[in-house]
Amino acid sequence: MGDRRLVVGVTVLAGLAAYAVLVPWVAGVDDRVTDFAAARQAPSWAHLFGTDSAGRDLFVRTAAGLRVSLLIAAVCAVLSTVIGALVGALSAVAGGWVDRLTMRVVDGVNAVPHLLLGIVLVALFRGSLVAIIASIALTHWTQVARIVRSEVLSLRDRPHVDAAVLGGATRWRVVHRHLLPAALPQALVAAVLLLPHAVWHESTLSFLGLGLPPHRASLGTLLEEARSSLLLGGWWTLVFPALGLVLATLAVAAVGSGLRDRVALPRRAEATL
Amino acid sequence: MARRRLLFAVPVVLAVSVGVFAAAAASPFDPLAGYLGDRYLTASQEAQAKLAEQLGTDRPWFEQYLSWLGHLVTGDLGTSRSFGQPVADVLAERLPWTLLLVAVSLVIAVVLALGLGTWTAARRGGWVDRLVTPGCLLLQGLPPFVVALGAVALFGIGLAWLPVAGLTDAGADLSVGQVARHLVLPALVLALSQLPWLLLNVRQSLLRALTEDHVTGARSRGLAERTVVARHALPTALLPFVTLLGARLPELVVGAVLVEEVFSWPGLAQAVVTSATELDFPLLAFLTLLTTVAVLVGSLIADVAYVLLDPRVAADG
Amino acid sequence: MTPALSVRDLTVRFPLAARRRAPRRVVHAATDVSFDLHAGRVLALVGESGCGKSVLASALLRLLPGNAVVTGSAVLAGSPPVDVLTADERVVGRQVRGRRLALVPQSAATSLTPVRTARSQLEEAVCELAPGTDPRARADELAERVGLAPRDLDLFPHELSGGMAQRVVVALALAGGPAVVLADEPTAGLDRPLANRTLQLLREVADAGCAVLLITHDLGGLLRAPEVADDLAVMYASRLMETGPAAAVLAAPAHDYTRDLLGALPAGGLVPIPGHPPELTDLPAGCAYHARRPDAGRCDGGALHTAALHTGGVRSARCRPLAVALC
Repeated sequence: MGDRRLVVGVTVLAGLAAYAVLVPWVAGVDDRVTDFAAARQAPSWAHLFGTDSAGRDLFVRTAAGLRVSLLIAAVCAVLSTVIGALVGALSAVAGGWVDRLTMRVVDGVNAVPHLLLGIVLVALFRGSLVAIIASIALTHWTQVARIVRSEVLSLRDRPHVDAAVLGGATRWRVVHRHLLPAALPQALVAAVLLLPHAVWHESTLSFLGLGLPPHRASLGTLLEEARSSLLLGGWWTLVFPALGLVLATLAVAAVGSGLRDRVALPRRAEATL
Repeated sequence: MARRRLLFAVPVVLAVSVGVFAAAAASPFDPLAGYLGDRYLTASQEAQAKLAEQLGTDRPWFEQYLSWLGHLVTGDLGTSRSFGQPVADVLAERLPWTLLLVAVSLVIAVVLALGLGTWTAARRGGWVDRLVTPGCLLLQGLPPFVVALGAVALFGIGLAWLPVAGLTDAGADLSVGQVARHLVLPALVLALSQLPWLLLNVRQSLLRALTEDHVTGARSRGLAERTVVARHALPTALLPFVTLLGARLPELVVGAVLVEEVFSWPGLAQAVVTSATELDFPLLAFLTLLTTVAVLVGSLIADVAYVLLDPRVAADG
Repeated sequence: MTPALSVRDLTVRFPLAARRRAPRRVVHAATDVSFDLHAGRVLALVGESGCGKSVLASALLRLLPGNAVVTGSAVLAGSPPVDVLTADERVVGRQVRGRRLALVPQSAATSLTPVRTARSQLEEAVCELAPGTDPRARADELAERVGLAPRDLDLFPHELSGGMAQRVVVALALAGGPAVVLADEPTAGLDRPLANRTLQLLREVADAGCAVLLITHDLGGLLRAPEVADDLAVMYASRLMETGPAAAVLAAPAHDYTRDLLGALPAGGLVPIPGHPPELTDLPAGCAYHARRPDAGRCDGGALHTAALHTGGVRSARCRPLAVALC
């Protein structure tokens, strides 16, 4: 079951990635070039996904948007994972009040609506890619931190860690050499599961007009554009970018949960021994 | 327990508000630009310096923060530039609409989640289950604003059944019938955006509960299946649901922001977007704080409800 | 006298999910089990954990998972007589379970719904199983019958002591006025005085006119309370090994397994039985116990030496013809 999900997810993702990378490259058309004579055309052989209100080809532009959104999401996922893994590992190893304080901070960050923090940050640092990425990374590390912390806590009592400590290894060496590598699979799964959130976050901010500037294609800016085209009957401006967003989200979620089962299975087998 | 949650809430609220001011100080944006608008480019240096002194924006950010906090405590919320009226008035005008929208959608979502979640778990593999469960998984992949746009396209424009913007038709008076008609789509979309998580949670915990000892016990006693599900499986399965409701509150707020924006619903969530795009700092700071407090209070209520529902927790103190 | 419940050749099989490159395996949970339960009598069914005895109770109540294959018959006396193994699922659910055939489940505390008081669950059972009676009065009456004060019913399950929870589940089993009560390991996890009180409670249930099947792995407990069980059946690896009047079987076991079980008790000298019970997926042909202990004694291939295994009072055993039918 998990394997089938993994295969389907990876296949869809590979297809989307190929589409996102190859189409703008092969088409040789700049997705930002406007052609008002061809504005708001329904899908046809010339424009597979139709055109938007500025006459930009949506087949190319959706690909470009997908690429931007996925890239931003990937960077955010990596950043959140690194932050989360470090905080989680340090918290677990330090223990005591440091641990308690860190966990309260995690609770605190989770208590605030993430998008709201994103809106505030992005509003104050308008149009900056760094602000978008920071606003996502700074709010999404908590999940990874929790997972890594509990993983490290459960690993700390294993024999090979005891052996390393008895062998005179320092605390940080133990973390670096023994605990973090062992917690890595879990952290990776968490990172993959973060991706859809990051895609949503970015596209939501852009949709609200707070993310990327409108001419820069991202799934969010495309959907924002669709909002006005819709009123004039341009259903295709909504359908194709939304399809890209949904496919990407579901495929990543499938890969994530497939991976999670993979990681969880050997552990369950271990537990029954 | 409640006291501990309150003690936790205070530093979170403080940290969020300090964070907002610190971020504002670090931002390249000059608060005067927001205040002056187009005149920012034409106003003289001296005039700007004078204004900055008047507004206090020349002081270090934590001094500004402390004076803002002082005003807040005394009930002075400042003035919103983008709406051209005191923040308190914006609040009074818009909060009821947001509460109406959120409350109606929450009720719809909870009722649907409980009903369909129970049905799909009790008749696992039946046609309802085979329809609803994949539907939920698909919905989980759709951000609220895509659902909202889809609803606008389908029901508002394609079928033209329902209005898609505002509280009333253009020029119409504010009446219950008007508002109700305009509420249908936003409320349904907001409910739908939260439904998959709630429904799948009910279904999952009910499926788990159905295999537990106390349910087998009730069944072996000869009770009707309806009684077994409704009075033995469901009560224990609802405990995680209450916790989830609390935990989903931030997502509900996010959903409200998007739904109000798409449907031009004149609520507070839309004001968040407006104040952010126009850098209306007094309003933005206050709304951030208010949302955080609302979410914290909401999760506190969820915790209290949990304690009331589960006698075991109350016994542990 | 017709038995209250007459079980014949009850066989339960669980086909396991097929694995790649391996033959499909089947769990033999119960094989050709036959016994009778009589009103006013307690039949104790003894066996080590994993011999299949708890499956019997679930099979009789039709609570086995859907993949179980059940054959044989189990006829409940009364009007009309019902074969609970073949009757329609709805008939079992609406007319048999709880009303004519009740279960005292394993682990009393967890079989109660944690967020509702004992009273609410007992009154609910009364309402559904015996409509027309005043639930509150009937609940109090049932509580007193099992030795609970009516106010104890107002406690939540987690507030009940182990003994009180045990009494509550017995009261729940009696709510529908059943003719037959199946008790599945009612003493598991209880300390010795509490286990003893629970056995006495079941004795009282039988004395009040019910037929009781007491499923237990605790042979020592039965020895300490010899008045509880009238009849005894010993189960090993899905089959009955020996049956007969409890006193006679305990005094002079006919099957080597019964003898060794008694020998493993403190009173019998604490001689552990060598080896392990077999996996129920690959049972040997013939007597499974003698396959485990070929040196233990006489075995003539595992045939069952009696024609009247199930009628009360007659002794029978596997592997070994009994010269004298006692009693």
